[in-house]
Amino acid sequence: MIFVHLFYEFFKIGLFSFGGGYATIPFLYHIGEVYGWFSAADLERMIAIASVTPGPVGVNMATYTGLTSGGIIGSLIATTAITIPSLILIVIISKILKKFKENFYVKAIIYGLKPASCALLASVALQMIISKAADIYTMVIFIVFLIISFLTKKDPLFYLGITGLIGLILKLSHTI
Amino acid sequence: MSLFRLFLLFVKIGAILLGGGYVILPVMKSEFVEKHKLISEDDLINYFAISQSLPGIIAANISIFVGYKLRRTIGAIAAVIGVTFAPFWSIVLLASIISKYLHTDIMQGIFWGVGIGVMVLMVSATREMWAKAFEDKFAYLIFAAGLGIMLFTNLSPVIVVISSAALGVLYKKLVSGRAKE
Repeated sequence: MIFVHLFYEFFKIGLFSFGGGYATIPFLYHIGEVYGWFSAADLERMIAIASVTPGPVGVNMATYTGLTSGGIIGSLIATTAITIPSLILIVIISKILKKFKENFYVKAIIYGLKPASCALLASVALQMIISKAADIYTMVIFIVFLIISFLTKKDPLFYLGITGLIGLILKLSHTI
Repeated sequence: MSLFRLFLLFVKIGAILLGGGYVILPVMKSEFVEKHKLISEDDLINYFAISQSLPGIIAANISIFVGYKLRRTIGAIAAVIGVTFAPFWSIVLLASIISKYLHTDIMQGIFWGVGIGVMVLMVSATREMWAKAFEDKFAYLIFAAGLGIMLFTNLSPVIVVISSAALGVLYKKLVSGRAKE
């Protein structure tokens, strides 16, 4: 039964997530809450690993979540299911490519989806921050790196590498 | 180009893409336009633009477009299997290693820190979307409504997506109706 749910949920993500790799995260966050396949902490690990592993983040997220919740078959189902809507849509759209971008409904739908996708991502970011707001070490490190991210554009690897190292040092020195 | 070579080319693309969005266009341009001369640069830029406004994974969407252009539906399927091949196996491998050592102090420490890095990445990704999200004032209303629903109810993001698409159409109809009067 879990495979049917996995297929259904990831098909939905493939059909309704707009705006690239990180756009899948709000859906995964919701799935975690509803099915209990993984926790918020699991999801954070997945995001970190998906961001530093070769391949599009969205594919990595699907594979990892599928693996955590349904083993190797689960990951195969999740990865396949998330790309099927694209496959169907694009085979249809390819025939009317030129008209697609100028279509009134396409433009109007995208007009509504852009702020909505941003809101979805913002809600997960906020929930993550709120859930850790009580921890002073976390907040200090977070604010320092947030300021860095506002000042310069750096690769995800930079943030994950250095924060990972800080975590390791704090843990081994028994500060956390 | 044979279907198998097409598949292999996309396996390579999938393996090169690290960390998502930023590098897709240059990588695909060098492989498809410059090295193998399979499609024109105009085609690629067009696919890239449309892929961003389609649901799903952008890199997979562009791959499907290119695969379809070269070998129709079977080419599209080969392309999407190809582009997901390397990420799939690297995750399966990495996840099994990580789950083995997850309970150790070293891993616990690293992931404690990385969790903070992820928060920064989430904020960055939100800011990046924010920069392109608003065409006019009504769009801010959609944002606020979406955020409110996500934070204060247990509704699925799917609801937010469908209703904001519907709102977009209604609003644009209204605006274009007024413009005609």
